[in-house]
Amino acid sequence: MQGLLSSRVGSQLAGSAVLVVVLVLGGLAYASSGAPARDILVTQMLINAIMVIGLQIYIGNTGVLSFGHMGFAAISGYAFALLASTVQRKARIVPDVPLGLDAVSLNPLVAAAAAVAITVVAGLVVGLGLARSGAKSGAVAATVITLALLFMVHEVGGAYADLTGGRNGISFSVGRGLDGRMWVYLALIATVVLARLFKSSRIGRMAQAAREDDLAARAMGINPARGQMVALILSVAVVSVAASLRVFQLGTVAPSTFFFDYTLLTLVMLIVGGRNSIAGSVLGVALMTVVNETTRHLADVEIDGGPMDVLDIVLRPGLTDIVLGGSMLGFMIFRARGLVEDWEVDHWLRRRFGRAEPVPDPLKAAPTPAPAQLSAAGVTVDFGGFRALERAELEASNLEVVGLIGPNGAGKTTLLNMVTGLVKATEGTATLTTRSGPGSGAHSATGGEPFEIARSGLARTFQNLRLFPALSVRENVSIAALVASQHRAGPDRPSVEQLLVHAGLWELRDRRARELDYGNARRLELVRAAALSPAFILLDEPTSGMSNVESVAMIDEVRALASAVGAGVVVIDHDLAFITGVCDRIYCLDQGRVISVGTPTEIQADPQVQAAYLGAAAPAATG
Amino acid sequence: MIDLLQSLIDGLGRGSIYALLALGIAVIFGVMHMVNFAHGELITVTAYIAFGVVVTTGWGWWAAAPLIFLGAVGTSVVIEFVAFRWVRGASDFTMLLTSFAVHFLVQAIFVMTMGASVRSFPRPEWADRIWSVGELNIQIVDVAVIGTTALTLAATVFLLQRTMFGISLRAAAEDFDAARLMGVKSNKVIRQAFILAGALAGIAAIFYLMRTGQARPTTGLSPLLKGILAAIIGGLGNMQGAVYGGLLLGVSEVLLRSWLPEDLVGITDGAVFALIALFFIFRPQGLLYVRSAERV
Repeated sequence: MQGLLSSRVGSQLAGSAVLVVVLVLGGLAYASSGAPARDILVTQMLINAIMVIGLQIYIGNTGVLSFGHMGFAAISGYAFALLASTVQRKARIVPDVPLGLDAVSLNPLVAAAAAVAITVVAGLVVGLGLARSGAKSGAVAATVITLALLFMVHEVGGAYADLTGGRNGISFSVGRGLDGRMWVYLALIATVVLARLFKSSRIGRMAQAAREDDLAARAMGINPARGQMVALILSVAVVSVAASLRVFQLGTVAPSTFFFDYTLLTLVMLIVGGRNSIAGSVLGVALMTVVNETTRHLADVEIDGGPMDVLDIVLRPGLTDIVLGGSMLGFMIFRARGLVEDWEVDHWLRRRFGRAEPVPDPLKAAPTPAPAQLSAAGVTVDFGGFRALERAELEASNLEVVGLIGPNGAGKTTLLNMVTGLVKATEGTATLTTRSGPGSGAHSATGGEPFEIARSGLARTFQNLRLFPALSVRENVSIAALVASQHRAGPDRPSVEQLLVHAGLWELRDRRARELDYGNARRLELVRAAALSPAFILLDEPTSGMSNVESVAMIDEVRALASAVGAGVVVIDHDLAFITGVCDRIYCLDQGRVISVGTPTEIQADPQVQAAYLGAAAPAATG
Repeated sequence: MIDLLQSLIDGLGRGSIYALLALGIAVIFGVMHMVNFAHGELITVTAYIAFGVVVTTGWGWWAAAPLIFLGAVGTSVVIEFVAFRWVRGASDFTMLLTSFAVHFLVQAIFVMTMGASVRSFPRPEWADRIWSVGELNIQIVDVAVIGTTALTLAATVFLLQRTMFGISLRAAAEDFDAARLMGVKSNKVIRQAFILAGALAGIAAIFYLMRTGQARPTTGLSPLLKGILAAIIGGLGNMQGAVYGGLLLGVSEVLLRSWLPEDLVGITDGAVFALIALFFIFRPQGLLYVRSAERV
């Protein structure tokens, strides 16, 4: 038992089971003590839970705010109703239905499966549009695209009466209806497990990294579009199943079944508990169901006093909507990440039943790596009318540390951005040549997307620190190691744990990156770059904001990490003690040109450098 | 030729309203980097003000117009104070969902207090009068809205170019952090941006409501969508572009109506959304403007 609970997948399965059992038992306890209407309410709650976890898979992992999932649900609901209802019923409600659907009447299970297939195709099309728009966390483009889907499906549902039954929709009965909850239970369990495993899967973690910082993720070799597409398809499939269940249970589907009201309800359920957590989603569903029930009773008393249509329970306009809108606003202002943030039941299980983790072996220097050469030649970069770089050049081997210095605006960061593919050069190329093993030919990579360049062996850090703030220290590093294990050859890479110990971050491994102090955050970014097992680590001002003592200590850290993963280093910095201490060779840039190259001593003696850089600093120092 | 001129005038009449709304959206986007989906609620709130003043009190439009204007400015300030002030600097996701939350909340408040049904109020009787110049038939309300918009835009340009407020606003839109370091107070500049956006929406609302004569909880959605579409046509956050985008949208809408068969031009919210989405997918920088590279 303890073995099961301390293993990763085992504890996740157990945690999922706990969630489902608690939700179902809570519902049953409520239903057993009242009118049959409560029974229907509980079924609706369980279906809502499937729907909300479906949303969580996409919105939670990618951070993209989708309003279109109820559009997918509507597609699925109509498909299910048209495929599953009887021939006679269709002859009455939609007599002119196209595509020969008038003669089709499938088993509900088959109809639901077909509805999933149809909805997934729609998901693929929308997903391509989202990818084209460069969807990232909080991107308004993605939200508008998904809203367009919601409205279009709604309007087609209302206008194309031959297919959809128009405003009244399609009401039907299939066999004995959804009289038992067996299928709901099965779908709920499958959904919770799927969502939990996806959250910790490779592709899920890469999607989360892109959610936290799109640019840093791409610079770590992650293609955000891929994780987003996988998350979207899984999420759409789950939403589709929930939609079929909902339509089955309501016995009707109309344009209003899956529109703004239901979108609002499910979104609030998702964000109240915590959109990054499956436990949070379930908590949100339970909580908002209780709140809605309470307000419904209040509203009954105050406003009409008469009995209500059971099917309207959660769709009743007025007070319920005010509570929903108010919850949404309140949580965004006071607790945007929800009640439990990204906590899961298995986190608790493993802390309770897991074993202490042994401290890993210290890091050893890697054997001499296969030679690699980074060269940029004749690089010119224009920003509109401004020439940031003019025929700049850079040569570095992976056995050395090369520095880039120069006054502000000299083009140092632009050169780094160009080499890593974040900025396109007007002229000139950058080439990384690696010899992957004895006897194998030279492999050369230029141009391409930033994530492709990162995979080919260039890892970088950023001047303004780009960690994945909501992920733990260990997750930050293990994402990079994950990319390395998929795209970087080499058998004896240091483990994530060894790297953390080496950088003195072992004790902090379960902290969120955003909780680290500045120095540790800088070290984490350095370790994360090293974990990519690159041929070169490119550092953009690693000591900015550090004290003298810290930046001198950074000399050893940079050198030790680079030799542990067998990488060369290209480093930009303003701190002279650091740069002369760490570098074998230095390039000095001024106004977009390389004005001098040499060893630290040569550079310091160069009159041109003194004029451009040191000379400019000297009067300030004396004055 | 006369037809084209006629369409141009009709289109500028519509487009003026879109331009004012789009400019407000662009101003807010500039300082908060957020598309404000609650901007249409300024129209919703003022529609009920118009209903109240024109129908209930019977004071007529000369009293309603200034109250609509003040109502829009006041609502904008209240929304900023209640909601947006607290999420400044939060993640894009939080800000975006906050604007939707305000949109939902205002709508729900009106559903609960006023009911979901349409409240109609009489439009001013001069609005429909036609002024014939040769073969041209010009609606008086078009002349009024084009003229007022031109004056408003001139005043806005003066405000943005010549006053301390305008300069801090434009500086904040360029680079918020740098503007703060130069002594621009962030809360103040954001509040002022909401006042400006509210004033622009207030002027748009006067003429929009004169044309429609209706109030219901979802009144603001359609003008909101047109405003967002106009803003994205002009390139999101580009204030000049937003104005051109609004005028362009108005004229193309009228041309579309005069050239396409009647049953094809029932332009629905869904179609406008689809257009906005297509712009975001294929031309996010707008039709009129090329943005500079992202800073890293």
